[in-house]
Amino acid sequence: MSINPIGLTAALAAFLGIWLGHISVRIIERNAKKLWSPILIALVLGLALEIWSLLTDHWLLNTATGILGITILWDALEFVRQEKRVKKGHVPANPFNPRHAQILAEHSSATTLDLLNRDPVGRQVNSDEAVQLIAQQENS
Amino acid sequence: MNFFGLALGIATLFIIGLGFVWVIRGEHYFGLLWWPYIMGLGLLLIVTSLFLHNNWSSALLGVTGASLIWGSTEFKEQAVRAELGWYPFNPKKFQPPFADIIKNWKAPHL
Repeated sequence: MSINPIGLTAALAAFLGIWLGHISVRIIERNAKKLWSPILIALVLGLALEIWSLLTDHWLLNTATGILGITILWDALEFVRQEKRVKKGHVPANPFNPRHAQILAEHSSATTLDLLNRDPVGRQVNSDEAVQLIAQQENS
Repeated sequence: MNFFGLALGIATLFIIGLGFVWVIRGEHYFGLLWWPYIMGLGLLLIVTSLFLHNNWSSALLGVTGASLIWGSTEFKEQAVRAELGWYPFNPKKFQPPFADIIKNWKAPHL
């Protein structure tokens, strides 16, 4: 019985695309002073991968570049969505980044705390307890 | 020109998009402790994709498997989001088999 590696290739491309995109968007959005340059780089990189995918005759390379290109194009949009999460306080703001410092000054919901950085406790928590829980877990 | 990769990329975008929905709903009704089952199902789909000869079927199954594995690692943060009130919290979840054992495992997060 012969093995078809295309599903595994597609799975690896999708998983790495999501994982690396997730981490890169978080780190770059946190540190970039202006968002337009990472957005532009993601758009160019994503389009380049799609063109490569269209032109290559190698079926596995065609698969991997096709998937990675689209996930990187999506990341361009995620930079904008991530900044909205910072404004809501759903991801921590970086006070040393002037763009985030301005968000902290203008949006009372923004915070420097990472409220998701803990294990679940199985019940609803209020905002004071949410802060206590992340402090407890950092100390333990 | 070979459009397979581009079309597959767009299909992948929809499969990942569905991931946003089922992670939220899945955590709400079933809870965090289902993560090993979802991860296992994802792995099973990827292994199954190796034995499919049709390229579209194999690739879509592989991407779906990868999305399930990724989603299983998102359950922990989603459970915390619901506790914070960012999503509706459901105290009565449908627990998985062997929930008491899974409780002692550290839920993955990437």
